[in-house]
Amino acid sequence: MSEKIYAWLLRLYPSHFREAYGNDALQLFRDRARDEKGFLPRLRLWLDLLGDLALSVPREYLRVEPKLISSSARLSTKDGPCFLVLAGQPPGATALLTGGVLSLAALLMFSILLNHGVRPVPLSALFRPTQGATHGGSSAFKPSVPQATTSKGQEGTIASPSQQQPEMGAKTSAQANTMAREFQTKPPSSPASAQSSQQQDGQSPGATNPSRGETKLDATERQRVVDAAAAILKKYYIDRDNAQKMADALQAHERNGDDDAVPDGAAFAALLTKQMRAVKADRHLTLDYSETPFPELPAAPPPEELARYREAMKQQNCTFERVEILPHNMGYLKLNSFPDVSVCQATASAAMASLNNVDAIIFDLRDNRGGEPAMVAFMAAYLFDHPEYWYNPRENTTEQSWTHSPVPGNKLADKPAYVLTSARTFSGAEQFCYDVKVLKRATLVGETTGGGAHAGVWHRIDDHFGMGIPETKAINPFSKIDWAEIGVEPDVKVKAADALVTAEKLAQSKLEKK
Amino acid sequence: MPKRKLDPLPSAAFQILLALVGQDLHGYGIMRQVADQTDGRMRLGPGTLYSSIQTLVEEGLIGEVDLREDATFGHERRRYYRLTAAGRKLARSEAERLADLLRVARAKKILKGQYV
Repeated sequence: MSEKIYAWLLRLYPSHFREAYGNDALQLFRDRARDEKGFLPRLRLWLDLLGDLALSVPREYLRVEPKLISSSARLSTKDGPCFLVLAGQPPGATALLTGGVLSLAALLMFSILLNHGVRPVPLSALFRPTQGATHGGSSAFKPSVPQATTSKGQEGTIASPSQQQPEMGAKTSAQANTMAREFQTKPPSSPASAQSSQQQDGQSPGATNPSRGETKLDATERQRVVDAAAAILKKYYIDRDNAQKMADALQAHERNGDDDAVPDGAAFAALLTKQMRAVKADRHLTLDYSETPFPELPAAPPPEELARYREAMKQQNCTFERVEILPHNMGYLKLNSFPDVSVCQATASAAMASLNNVDAIIFDLRDNRGGEPAMVAFMAAYLFDHPEYWYNPRENTTEQSWTHSPVPGNKLADKPAYVLTSARTFSGAEQFCYDVKVLKRATLVGETTGGGAHAGVWHRIDDHFGMGIPETKAINPFSKIDWAEIGVEPDVKVKAADALVTAEKLAQSKLEKK
Repeated sequence: MPKRKLDPLPSAAFQILLALVGQDLHGYGIMRQVADQTDGRMRLGPGTLYSSIQTLVEEGLIGEVDLREDATFGHERRRYYRLTAAGRKLARSEAERLADLLRVARAKKILKGQYV
């Protein structure tokens, strides 16, 4: 009995030891067991054996085989990879089976995790502005207009993005071409009609709105939409190779009759979106359908719209909510959007001029939802004493990619600067944060920002169909990823509500050090 | 090459070398001889014993002789070990090293009496 136990314990030793000395060890055990009879000697024998096991088993596993040493010396003289097999015999069936089952289990676990558990959730999905949701047209495209503020009597004027955007899109055609894109990111239609293709991915449009079924599509109509979509892709989509492939795919599907079964326009738009994304998974690329006709984009801005915008901006002080000087001669500027420079330049200049003599400046962008890149660059110009490259992911580099620094008379270029951020800080405001951060010009205090970098350009196909195409993407000279989907990380992470106090303390201690 | 395994010489290995001076022994014989040499203080368990033997064989300090029966322990054939010239030399140098130590210890008067 006890010999069996010891024989079993011997299996703890590595195989090379068991092969060489297993029998001898067992024999030694038998010899001792025969010679040492009685309770106490037996007890001593087992204590010896257990102590011996505890000491010698680890030592045997640590032992380096002389065979290996000599062969590794030999191997190192050869070229190419090589490896040594430590096991003296091939793995047994049990080992192979266990290994196989474990590998399968791991594979299964990872695939389940990838499908359900750890899908990367873009931050912007959590902080997506609510107005995007009310306006189903293109939730993939980030709204870049300042969020509607409910100032008295202004709701009808600027509160609704769906009204503001066509107005802005129209206006900008008279201005810099770059601005036009900023505000054309959504189908300029009434909110009820446009249906997001992303929604359609998830659920049948027929189910959500049965009335859509009325619109019948014939082959001619479909062919026209497909041709127009292909043309737009080839003309505007930045990835030329995939644009061609997508266009070909759309036409091939139509030719092969894959599109024949669609019941209505919404389903057709969803199907085309799916076909395009099958070529390249670009969720900013979308083809939308609206039952109520998309309005034609006016060629020139109606003067009364522009006047209304001016009036609204005047009412809100161009969204400069607070401009004041805090204790310790700190300038504080709360800016809730980056409005149109042509309308608000005077206000912005006046605000900055009033803070010109402060010792440190705090930009509060916690409620800033973005706006015009031109205004972002305009504000940033005050922070530099020489033209600084001002990165905008939506633009390729032009002469406008540098700040117009120095600003005449400006004394803020060398003053400590702080930017307050929150999860609601979005789009153009994030550009401000990102650029001053990578340029190491300001300290960001607050929360990680919302993560809206890219927008789309809206292309009207006809009354009912339109396409959203992601904007071109400039090469980021800072060779870091931009803030799309992930936001801009603050330098000092605190709750948005505490950001101002924290920044004041930071600024104060910095000023005291001087 | 890694450092030699028997430098410093473990006491179990030294005891085995000493046990084999003047006689060939099998594993159990070595164990008993070591126990005798140390007044029963060192009882080599199978693992320690054969692991030491393995190392000593690899280093060429002892050699396996042949398989023989030992009449006192039944009819099983046993593997006998013999000290090699290198093993004898190492045992001697280790003993001299210990003797030197002993001299130092004596000079420092940490030993009671004059035995050994």
